[in-house]
Amino acid sequence: MLHRRIYQFFIIYFLGLAALMVIKYGLSLSDYVIPSPAEIWQTARRFFPIYFVAVINTLSVAILGHILSICLATIVGIIGRLTIWVGSFIRVAAYNIQAYPIVAVAPIIFILLGDGLSSRLLIAAMICYFPLLLSFIGIFSEPVYEIEHFFESTLKMTWWLQVKIRAFENINKLITVIVGSATLAMVGTIVAEFIAADAGIGYSIRIALFQSDLAKILVALFLIGVCTSLYLVWLEWIGHLIQKRWEIPEGG
Amino acid sequence: MQLECKNLKYQYPGANLHVFKALSLQLPGPGFHALFGPSGVGKTTLAKMICGKINGYTGEITSNDMNRILYTYNLERIPGWSSVREHFELNTPVANRHIVSELIHSFGLQTLMESRFAQLSLGQQNRTNLTRYLLQDFDLLIMDESLANVDEVTKEKIILKIKDMFSERCFLYISHNVVEVAKFCDQIVVLRSHHQVPQAVILTGNNHKNGQPLDKHALEHTMLEIVHAS
Repeated sequence: MLHRRIYQFFIIYFLGLAALMVIKYGLSLSDYVIPSPAEIWQTARRFFPIYFVAVINTLSVAILGHILSICLATIVGIIGRLTIWVGSFIRVAAYNIQAYPIVAVAPIIFILLGDGLSSRLLIAAMICYFPLLLSFIGIFSEPVYEIEHFFESTLKMTWWLQVKIRAFENINKLITVIVGSATLAMVGTIVAEFIAADAGIGYSIRIALFQSDLAKILVALFLIGVCTSLYLVWLEWIGHLIQKRWEIPEGG
Repeated sequence: MQLECKNLKYQYPGANLHVFKALSLQLPGPGFHALFGPSGVGKTTLAKMICGKINGYTGEITSNDMNRILYTYNLERIPGWSSVREHFELNTPVANRHIVSELIHSFGLQTLMESRFAQLSLGQQNRTNLTRYLLQDFDLLIMDESLANVDEVTKEKIILKIKDMFSERCFLYISHNVVEVAKFCDQIVVLRSHHQVPQAVILTGNNHKNGQPLDKHALEHTMLEIVHAS
């Protein structure tokens, strides 16, 4: 799992780098526009420790934001499964609000909360929250009649049992959605740092952009890719453990 | 204990045809009764109306001294996280715990108790599902093809045991099998399509019980009656 994801990333990254070099040497562009491989290597050696700390900082915020959004989506998804007006209201609101781009709201968050951790965390959480919420509402609202019927008929059904049944029956979907939204959490954090923040790899990219230093940006992208891949692999591993624990061999 | 349906009229929302136009029937009380009829005639619909899962019909369903009506069907499952034993332990009312081991033994579930539901064969799943319903408090249990995947010998054992153990309760057994309906059931409600009048015909079955000889001529006669009525 780990080596496959990392290989995939390396292949894509180095193909992109090769394409840049083809453009550079094909059009005879200067090192100022697209740095040479030697310059990229020199930059990587100089800035690796600084950027590594920055990307770990970003990854930490992304993980926190991801956890926050999973918790929030679970709570709202549980309420949204209700057949009374509250559930219906939440479902409609969720569908409408998710259509609104969070990046457009980000400046308001920075005005209100400043450029510290809370803004980055909130934007990261919001960006991966809505796809999670839509899936969670869908899963928690869908009755599993063949299992729930008994508990409803015998008046043993509780909200907790209902959520447990629906989560258990859709565990593969839940894991896929959580793993898929991890990339969004990372994207959200970098976007937040890019718009206005005082730390993280997005902030470093913004400075490199002001300096028109493509070598630094390429090094930053490499580290972002490696760290995101590692986070996804870790999530997939956790999901695999959960699936394995609940996996039941079919009989006949 | 009595169940009566008077002039039931029902049409599924959005459907053009009525399932029932003026359905009336009466079940006398405790016993193992049957609801028989071809596919699509409305057996499951009627069962769901009796247990209150379908509303929006006209007419009247009255049940004297039948407060606890349960409906079970053959596709039901037990949650995958618990074994059969854990599920029974958690969901059997304290007052009924004394019959758990007898039912487990009679239904041949002893070796399946530590298994998860998905590990069981379809017939074993049917038996497990029915057992957990029999362990509940009920006045009427509607069994919608609850033993559809169980072999004939085991099915006979199970039905005879149910009749033996729960003689004071009422059962409505939905089946397509003319022989078992004619052989084991007391009253047989033969449900017919909506354009036939009356839509339900009630016949008397052979009500075969443990230790009683089976009159084969009477059985054949009942089977002919059922086929003729449907």
